[in-house]
Amino acid sequence: MTTSRDLPRADRRKFLKGAALTGAAALSPAAAPAQAAPPRADLKASAPGPKLVAAETLPPGKDPVNQTSSGGEFMVDVLKALDFDYLAMNCASSFRGIHEAIVNYGGNKPEILTCPHEEIAVHMAQGYAKMEGKPIAMMCHGTVGLQHAAMALYNSWCDRVPVYVMIGNIIEADKRAPGVEWVHSAIDPAAIVRDFVKWDDQPASLQHFAESAVRAYKVATTPPMGPVLLSLDAELQENPIADRAKLRIPKVTKVVPPVADPGALAEAAKLLANAENPVIVCDRLARTPAGMARLVEFAETLQCAVIDQGGRMNFPTRHPLNQTFRARAAISQADVVLGIEMNDFYGALNAFHDRIVRTTYPVRKGPAKTISLGNRDLYLKSNYQDFGRLADVDLAIAGDGEASLPLLTDQVRRLVDEVRRSAYQARGEKLAKARLAMVEQAKSDATIGWDASPITTARMCAEVYAQIKDEDWSLVGNAIRNSWPQRLWNFDKSHRWNGQSGGAGVGYNAPASVGAALANKRHGRLTVAFGGDGDLMFVPSTLWTAAHHRIPLLYIVHNNRAYHQEYMYLVAMAARLGRGIDRSEIGTTIADPHVDYATVARGFGVHGEGPISDPAELAPALKRALAVVKSGQPALIDVVTDPR
Amino acid sequence: MDASFVRVFAAGLFALALAGLAFAEEPAGDAANGKQVYLMARCFTCHGRVGQGGGFNYPVPALAAIELPVEAFQAFLREPPNDMPAFSTAILSDKDAADMWAWLHSLPGRKPTKDFPLLNQ
Repeated sequence: MTTSRDLPRADRRKFLKGAALTGAAALSPAAAPAQAAPPRADLKASAPGPKLVAAETLPPGKDPVNQTSSGGEFMVDVLKALDFDYLAMNCASSFRGIHEAIVNYGGNKPEILTCPHEEIAVHMAQGYAKMEGKPIAMMCHGTVGLQHAAMALYNSWCDRVPVYVMIGNIIEADKRAPGVEWVHSAIDPAAIVRDFVKWDDQPASLQHFAESAVRAYKVATTPPMGPVLLSLDAELQENPIADRAKLRIPKVTKVVPPVADPGALAEAAKLLANAENPVIVCDRLARTPAGMARLVEFAETLQCAVIDQGGRMNFPTRHPLNQTFRARAAISQADVVLGIEMNDFYGALNAFHDRIVRTTYPVRKGPAKTISLGNRDLYLKSNYQDFGRLADVDLAIAGDGEASLPLLTDQVRRLVDEVRRSAYQARGEKLAKARLAMVEQAKSDATIGWDASPITTARMCAEVYAQIKDEDWSLVGNAIRNSWPQRLWNFDKSHRWNGQSGGAGVGYNAPASVGAALANKRHGRLTVAFGGDGDLMFVPSTLWTAAHHRIPLLYIVHNNRAYHQEYMYLVAMAARLGRGIDRSEIGTTIADPHVDYATVARGFGVHGEGPISDPAELAPALKRALAVVKSGQPALIDVVTDPR
Repeated sequence: MDASFVRVFAAGLFALALAGLAFAEEPAGDAANGKQVYLMARCFTCHGRVGQGGGFNYPVPALAAIELPVEAFQAFLREPPNDMPAFSTAILSDKDAADMWAWLHSLPGRKPTKDFPLLNQ
């Protein structure tokens, strides 16, 4: 393109003068003949043809500068019908139409959450949905924004969480502005995430949008839940509505989760009632606050061991039947194992060794019957392998675990006579004793290195619990393999915990915790989260969103100054080869310089404490931080810890 | 504690008994060097800097105040169970292993939990 800088200086004024004349001529048809001068041989470009001359000289076509409605307004009506409380987003031109409509037509409902990264927005939605039991909306560019969001969508997919994503796109090629709008458009923008999105659509009209929007909500919130995506054409968002009276928002109905077949449940009940050592293993069982209560009732009916893999808040940690931290021992003795809403039932039933030759073997010592109950068999996709290895199952029952438990409990109760009741009671007492021994072991283990610096993870968790145990607390994030809260704390309510990332994609903890804290805020709960330093390094600007939206959260950085799981793997690899173990920190540690997360937090407007490496300083720092959190603001404490 | 860890632990003790070796009560070993070796060999990444234990692909046992005999400890390092890396003599000599054992043995181990109010909440 020729610019003014390309022109000889002496000609610039003439050029500007010519440009002004051309502009004036365009307004005056009478001046047109002056533009039709014959071509000059010394010019490289040919003279404009008659069509171009006409286009440049005739009066402009109708070019309205005002409109009284936009398709975005109708879209907002639909979003309100879906009862979204929030919309998490990083602003983008491809959805400027609906963005404007939300702000002005909708009165900022759903309330916009400003996120500095699309991965943050999706993870916030994931954390919120698990705590509140309903999805929030998320919006981003259809190309570059969705690519940023992709990993968090994968986490949500693996975690079976409904996240409602809308992306902007410009479908008609002739409507795209030259340049950026072309690189921000795609013919099938959802293609890059379709392997881990449950359903998607690109509506071609506003009525089509309304129907797909309601359908998407229904699909997302029906177990097995998962993310959904709608691609919104910019023209559809921005252009005036032709006839609002013709547009209809379909009725929003939620699908009742399926209760399993009564006959199959009766068969399962018979196996469980007759078993000597039945064991329940569960992962993403509790969808609602009712889930935990139902599992407690079921387990108490059988007086059997429960192993909670922690995908949700399934079972109270201090319940006498909770055998989670002696899972291997419990399963090895089991004669019937019931897996409820398990993602990796095989992994629970078998041991695996990460050796040069990888091996597996059954944990069970003798023959045992296995029963699966859940939604997992109802819906799978093939590319990403998040479904795990196929377990040997004697009775596979399709149905929602939480919805099916009351009937299963009832079926078992019918089989319990006095003889069985007495045997169950003896079994329950034995399990209670085993759990107490397990707790004593945990406490005893926690005493080792109590005053050490860096601080042990056991001390860190005990100090935190001391400060929050009398509050209505909610732990919504945890660092990898930090089992101390579940070993030592009293998780007795459904909001005490909401599970992990799902896909083990790093960068989950901080934003998902902020999302869960947003849900907890309206219930007046005290939200706490642990998160690794490596995790926070992916999405530190999450802290700004927490500060900006006044989301109270105590975020504790478990700062072991490494991507520690990988650090251990590199040691293992080097040891296999008998070389260079002392070089394992290369590429695995976050040191030189050490990151000062408290300063980072303060930079984002969040109260920051630390780095703290003396355990004696933890309690005072926690007290200061909690005062900030109770005032409605987020706070961060950087705790320099031993690795695990 | 992991079941296979217990199995290997028991096997180590059995092998020791067969060899007719007595448990060393105050074994020789340079504890100061042992600490350096422990850190250099990156044992702390799984077992903690003060031998408190930790987590790798599963819970990892504590080593502070280790009671395993030194010879069994050395044998364990050469052919460990589960996912623990093997430390050959090429990267960890018998002497370094013995020194490490001496340091771990000298560390304070578990204490009575009643003395820790924060663990009884």
